[in-house]
Amino acid sequence: MATRSSAPETVENPLVEGLMVRRRPEPCVLTIFGASGDLTRRKIFPSLYSLAFRELLPEQFAILGVARSEQTTDEFVRMMEAAVREFGRDEFRDDVWQRLAKVTRYVATDFADDDGEDRVARTLTDLDHDVGTRGNRIYYFAVPPQAMPTLVEELGERRRRSSEGWVRLIIEKPFGYDLASARELNERLGHHFTEDEVFRIDHYLGKDTVQNLLALRFANGIFEPIWNRQFIDHVQITVAESIGIEARASYYEKAGAVRDVFQNHLLQLVALTAMEPPIDFSADSVRNEKLKVLKALATPDPRVVVRGQYGPGYIGGEPVPGYREEEGVAPDSNTETFVAARLFVDNWRWADTPFFVRTGKRLPRRETTIAIQFKRVPHSLFEQAEELRPNVLVAHIQPNEGVSLAIGAKVPGEGMRVRTVHMDFLYGGAFRTGLPEAYERLLLDAMLGDATLFTRADEIEEQWALVDVITAAWARQRPNFPNYGAGTWGSQAAQELVEWHR
Amino acid sequence: MAPLIHLDEWQDECATVPEVEQALIGLRLRRGFEGKRNLRTSVLTHLAWVPQEWQQAATETLAGLAERHPSRTLLLFPEPEGEDGLSARAFLECYEAPGTDRHLCNEVAELRLRGARAEAPASIVLPLLLPDLPVFLRWRGRPSFDSAVFAQLVEVVDRLVVDSAEWTDVPAAYSALAEIFEQVTVSDIAWRRTFPWRRTLAQAWPEVPDRLTGPPAETALVAGWLASRGGVEVSVERADELPAGDGRAPSDLLSEELDVYARDPVYEEAVRTAGRL
Repeated sequence: MATRSSAPETVENPLVEGLMVRRRPEPCVLTIFGASGDLTRRKIFPSLYSLAFRELLPEQFAILGVARSEQTTDEFVRMMEAAVREFGRDEFRDDVWQRLAKVTRYVATDFADDDGEDRVARTLTDLDHDVGTRGNRIYYFAVPPQAMPTLVEELGERRRRSSEGWVRLIIEKPFGYDLASARELNERLGHHFTEDEVFRIDHYLGKDTVQNLLALRFANGIFEPIWNRQFIDHVQITVAESIGIEARASYYEKAGAVRDVFQNHLLQLVALTAMEPPIDFSADSVRNEKLKVLKALATPDPRVVVRGQYGPGYIGGEPVPGYREEEGVAPDSNTETFVAARLFVDNWRWADTPFFVRTGKRLPRRETTIAIQFKRVPHSLFEQAEELRPNVLVAHIQPNEGVSLAIGAKVPGEGMRVRTVHMDFLYGGAFRTGLPEAYERLLLDAMLGDATLFTRADEIEEQWALVDVITAAWARQRPNFPNYGAGTWGSQAAQELVEWHR
Repeated sequence: MAPLIHLDEWQDECATVPEVEQALIGLRLRRGFEGKRNLRTSVLTHLAWVPQEWQQAATETLAGLAERHPSRTLLLFPEPEGEDGLSARAFLECYEAPGTDRHLCNEVAELRLRGARAEAPASIVLPLLLPDLPVFLRWRGRPSFDSAVFAQLVEVVDRLVVDSAEWTDVPAAYSALAEIFEQVTVSDIAWRRTFPWRRTLAQAWPEVPDRLTGPPAETALVAGWLASRGGVEVSVERADELPAGDGRAPSDLLSEELDVYARDPVYEEAVRTAGRL
């Protein structure tokens, strides 16, 4: 072996500088409760595979699936392999898959009895011994809300008895059903765990294009000075789905559009659009600014919150049933599948600037956009100026990810006619690396202990407080459902919301 | 990698620079294949200085590169022996943008700088650079660091990309390379190629082998790196193969260099040290 001469002896390895592309997480076991569910197949395992494909997982890493379904580890691994082949975004490579498969275990239990708990605990200890995961635990709650209290209590109790390693909880939506239940769950979590151990998922925050909204605002000098009530006429945020409720009737009947999307994704998009610049990109700096927006959201007048439910109609030329005809839905269901609202952020930046938000199922196309409509020029010099649309900056979150800006340009030829044209930035055009799945980013961040893209307890509670006001008003009035046809942009009342403003 | 959809072309044996620009604009505005619209999205201007002996290798490396780095690519073929003049071929490489009715197009211009034109390349490329985007210069072969042509081109670019494995006078050439670090930011594909090797050595630290065996450029750079970072001097032995590699194609390696903007102090120190060893 060669000997060292001139360089000083240091404890740190002097050769690693410039070699570490991204910090690798510490060794850990990811335990998935609700492992036999759709989320594990469609999102969690394909994302873990993509992380393994890019060598971003810890060297010592293991996965434990826990669910009620009786099956062996081999059967579970085979099911997950099929899921990765079907839903993964990368080519299937057996060597990559085998690295995951050999450290995957499955335990069949509902975790409500001591025997089940003990088997889970024993498997985790065995994995620590076999793989070297050092007692570090991530528990992923992909379970219905009613199962969460038991899990939190049991894991909290076990944690109290063990001092080895760190613990993090990833909690899927829905986080509660209303403010009271969300608060109760937060208190229960707070009794056993600290806030920085709890990672509440809103997968929208894991999307690159949602994060690009922050890049657009805070990495470009031209937008921030005009990002306020003086220059912006209004903001429109749309989370539209063309699909129906698929096989989720039992969940959706209780949740509706307001709990399924408005309470979380839509309000988070409002917060990201309206927030002040954080002092840095750390978890608490970003979340403090989002919280201020959520706190500043004025309680909406019930007349400016519109709900709807789709009736039969056509999507892409094909007939589709109405919501009440969907399997598992009550024939007289009053669950809303559409909600639109005019919100105001009562602060210096946004006073009197409406934020029109809408979300719904069975709308004409799948589309999530944030459209910033700027004010018209104060005085028009040109002919046919009334035809000229105001400038609109649109962040396309999905699909066709990118940003477009509508500007007025002179029509060539005689006279001075101006027409609106679009300048487009297509994500796929400039960066042809493929956008990662939101869950990849979120799983990796949780392993690294970075909570920037997760929702904090106080944010969730503010979101629910607003939703409680809306649902309380709705409870006093019986809706006249269905009130929009599948394949249309929601009810007439929703259209009128925006038109009132014009 | 998406398939190449179509390729429009314009050619002129006796062109002017404004004609090349006009040709590129004309190609872009032309209604694309199957009636789809062409869309230009550019992240940089990519210049390549390609002497005769490197033309085939350069063309192979560029294949598919434009798709990863949508850009305006200006391939400069110096032909100083020819009669004065500029011959140009301009074309678009277009790919389908998934889920849209657009074709994403990269602009490529091959410029043959004949006779005296080869002595003033900066005046030819300056009007063709995309405004406000970074300019990368891939210099094929060993540059004459003190030549006027090199000085001119370095003056108009943000980053110089070389592959010192293409040079026959390493490690001596590294001393000359180190002298231009203050003029222009330098990337070296040979250095990128040593990444897996360096990672293996870093993992084994503090154990270091007595001898490094591999191709001359990469071995010299790794030896310079070990000496500058770790204070370890090792002997080197020539071999054709790298001891650790990941089999990436030259276009992948160049593509990675085009993602880097800042200076790399670890590389620069390795080069300075390699030049002294």
